[in-house]
Amino acid sequence: MLTLDHLTKIYPARPGEFAGGIRDASIVLKPGAFFTLLGPSGCGKTTTLRCIAGLERPDEGRILVGDEVMFDGASGRSVPLHLRNIGMVFQSYAIWPHMSVFDNVSFPMRVSKARKYSTAEIRKAVGEALDSVGLGGYANRSATQLSGGQQQRVALARAVVHRPKLLLLDEPLSNLDASLREEMRVELKRLQRELGITAVYVTHDQSEALAMSDVIAVIDQGQVVQIGGPREVYFQPATEFVAGFVGHTNILHGTATGPADARGVVAVEVTGGGRVLCRAETPVSGEVAVSIRPENIRLAGEGEATGAAGNAIAGRVASASFLGSIVHYEVEPDQGSAVFRVEGGPGTPFEIGARVAMSFRPEDALALPRST
Amino acid sequence: MSSGTEGSTDLAARRPAGGGVDQVRVMAIVLCVILVALVVPPVVILIIRSVSVTNPDATVGGFTLAHYARFFTNPDLYESLFNSVVFSVFSTILALLFGGTLAWLVERTNTRFKGLAYVTTIISMGTPYILYVSAWLFLLGRSGPFNDAWRTLTGSFQPLFDPYSMWGMVLVEGFLWSPLVFLLLSSTFRQANADMEEAARMSGAGVLQTVWSISIKISMPAILALALFVFIRAIEAFEVPLMVGLPGGIDVLTTDVYKSIRETIPPDLGYASAYSVVLLFVVAVLLSFYGRLAKNAGKYSTVTGKGYRPRQFDLGRYRWIGDAMVLFNFLIVLVLPLLALFWLSLLPYMRSIRLEAIAQFSLENFATVLQSSYYRELALHTLVVAASAATAGIVLAFFTGWISARRRTGGQVLDQLATMPLVFPGIVMGVAFMMVFLAVPLPIYGSIWALAIAYTVRYLPYGLRYTYAGVLQIHSELEEAGGVSGATPIQMLRRIVAPLLSPAILSGWLFVFLIASKELAVAALLSNTQSQVVAVGMYDLWRNGQGGELAAFGLIWATVMTCVASLFYFATRDGDRAQAL
Ligand SMILES: Nc1ncnc2c1ncn2[C@@H]1O[C@H](COP(=O)(O)OP(=O)(O)OP(=O)(O)O)[C@@H](O)[C@H]1O
Ligand SMILES: [Mg+2]
Repeated sequence: MLTLDHLTKIYPARPGEFAGGIRDASIVLKPGAFFTLLGPSGCGKTTTLRCIAGLERPDEGRILVGDEVMFDGASGRSVPLHLRNIGMVFQSYAIWPHMSVFDNVSFPMRVSKARKYSTAEIRKAVGEALDSVGLGGYANRSATQLSGGQQQRVALARAVVHRPKLLLLDEPLSNLDASLREEMRVELKRLQRELGITAVYVTHDQSEALAMSDVIAVIDQGQVVQIGGPREVYFQPATEFVAGFVGHTNILHGTATGPADARGVVAVEVTGGGRVLCRAETPVSGEVAVSIRPENIRLAGEGEATGAAGNAIAGRVASASFLGSIVHYEVEPDQGSAVFRVEGGPGTPFEIGARVAMSFRPEDALALPRST
Repeated sequence: MSSGTEGSTDLAARRPAGGGVDQVRVMAIVLCVILVALVVPPVVILIIRSVSVTNPDATVGGFTLAHYARFFTNPDLYESLFNSVVFSVFSTILALLFGGTLAWLVERTNTRFKGLAYVTTIISMGTPYILYVSAWLFLLGRSGPFNDAWRTLTGSFQPLFDPYSMWGMVLVEGFLWSPLVFLLLSSTFRQANADMEEAARMSGAGVLQTVWSISIKISMPAILALALFVFIRAIEAFEVPLMVGLPGGIDVLTTDVYKSIRETIPPDLGYASAYSVVLLFVVAVLLSFYGRLAKNAGKYSTVTGKGYRPRQFDLGRYRWIGDAMVLFNFLIVLVLPLLALFWLSLLPYMRSIRLEAIAQFSLENFATVLQSSYYRELALHTLVVAASAATAGIVLAFFTGWISARRRTGGQVLDQLATMPLVFPGIVMGVAFMMVFLAVPLPIYGSIWALAIAYTVRYLPYGLRYTYAGVLQIHSELEEAGGVSGATPIQMLRRIVAPLLSPAILSGWLFVFLIASKELAVAALLSNTQSQVVAVGMYDLWRNGQGGELAAFGLIWATVMTCVASLFYFATRDGDRAQAL
């Protein structure tokens, strides 16, 4: 449905800053997919989205929506943005304050170049769009009388009213408060599935991305570092950066002692002392980072049996936060300086200062290429 | 103050511990006395004079309504009123269309040559209106280059265009105001959220459709308020009616007042006062409308979100129109008038632009201007008067602004007193102060101090805008912290508020200095040969046909003032420049 082919857009660097933008991004999306661009602030998510929208002219590459070429750097073809038939929800919502809700939502149909809509058609489509976002009956409100959440819904209705092929959303939930954000997240996903529309969603909130997406592209400094489903980027991160950005994790730096064995297990000499056995998804050698999720580490008191797990590190509890269903520990290992985050069940509390042994299976320790 | 909370009505709580006098209250009372002494006499004297017989020795006689009767039955009044309205409506439209389009192009689109628009604006801020009007009159005049070319081309003896007409007035006034419109609207457009326009484009709207239904309509409240503001200033305008209208036989309200004083012997003070009172009333009504519109001006201004970054609207294939517009402005408002002035300054007498004239080029005029003590005095008087008015005004505005912004006792009264001069058109202020100074037993009439006092009053409201808005930006806890630390209110104002407010104070001072140094209407009635200022001196030169010296002196003066204007422009935070509106 959406194809990005070596899409590149680099902003000229200002002195003392790295050149922002996006480099060489490629993806092919199936119709109806919910695709998320995930990455830290300034990594180039908005740039990518604006290139797709036609608000920004890429330097190179191709953009296709369906079979239609929207942009082709080689031939110089570029469809003007108002003819692309793409819906977009802006981060600031961009609800026009001088128009009523009805005027806002009906705008795309009133200015449509593709065909003229009759008043009755417009009325019907706007009514449906407003109903679908739960704002039926708000049509005659002035836009200045809306709450943040309602503006968000109007923006959504306006973006889908003319049945675009593609829906772009730039951090649409970031201006809402936490509880409303949760609610809109579910609603947005429902609407997208009901309309069967392909969505490109920009966020820097990894939990939002994991909860909503079919496909996630993780971007770091203008580079797409991994594309995959939510489980894939969580359980099989491609790099140290992805592991650290998607979900919480513990990272140990070290050196691989040799190639992986037949079961894909490799031994790593940890910088600062110690040695861990890890799983390697991709061939690694030399400098590596080892990622261990907090929920995969078991804590045992000193002298207790550590079970069958292959790795064990001794340390001392530095802090413990009781969060209800889990207890969140920070553990200082005896060797090395990195503090471990560990999640424990509420049943086996460890006091601050207690000596503990952390154990984890080689399958749960993932050796990854080091990010610079 | 030292322990009081914002908005508390418990006055006892504001007294400093120890039961000493409440400094803020004393300050408010002193200010009130000063402001009443400055602002009230002009109003009172106008009203008294308008209903009194004027004795042959110009003193006040018995009660009469004859002046008002004469005023309302004068058939010329309706013609002047009609002229004033036509003149103001059309020059407002021209200034808004031209300045507004330019501001939008420069701030929101990918038009080129943007720097030129700013240069034009800064230089025009420093140039006296008289000088501009002279230059345009020369350019458009009978022997000016345009009519000259027309005659040469067509062989006709009739000029193509007579600038001494209503349309000439409209054209000149419109272009005179367009830089200010540009300045004020450019900050409106700069703060606009680009998402609004992009959302329209994404919805499928074309360029022109987006400009019309989004860009323009969102700014409409701000534009309307500005339109009324410019309209009021045009009703009050004096320079153009005096220099273009009078010779062309087109009278407007302000020139009527001027004529009844300066071209009637003896000056018809009663009639002028009645006329002035009516004008005051009209402006007051218009200003109250304006106040309502201005409150709405920010109605659609949107909070720009986190993703905000100023972006430009791509004009696409219409870009050349934008470029042309910026260049046209640069040419009309800056290059042509400057060239005309250079031409005039190099010639011994005014003559049209011909190649033969180059043989007569000399720097004679510049030499005369630089050596003559007359010009030195003009400049000195103007600088002294403008600087004193700016200084006195900003000091008053500082205390008034603080008391009213912090809603201290008496703040509202002080605020109203200090903004009252806004209802005075310049010429009316001149009439009023002339009569005030004639009535006081001090030899002040005709001295430059008379001008300084009148200017202080006239521009007090502008200074107040700067200090008032400035105080609002200072968190009141900063002051309270000073009070808690043991500072008296005066110490707190001196050590905390004044330093924090210094950017606003500087901007306000420079702004008042700039406009005071251009003021003609007040000076035309208050200055005499010992107290001439630049604007009046230039008007006399123009009337006497001394275009060469006028141009030479004008160019030197404009250069100096442009330096002040650049200081104002660059020392002032964006948005503060528009404060005076
Ligand atoms: N018009 C521009 N000119 C110059 N640099 C730009 C421009 N637009 C964006 N950049 C730079 O490009 C980089 C990527 O910007 P982008 O807006 O795509 O980031 P983002 O991933 O959306 O970040 P955020 O999460 O903060 O919105 C940033 O470093 C930014 O400073
Ligand atoms: Mg962004």
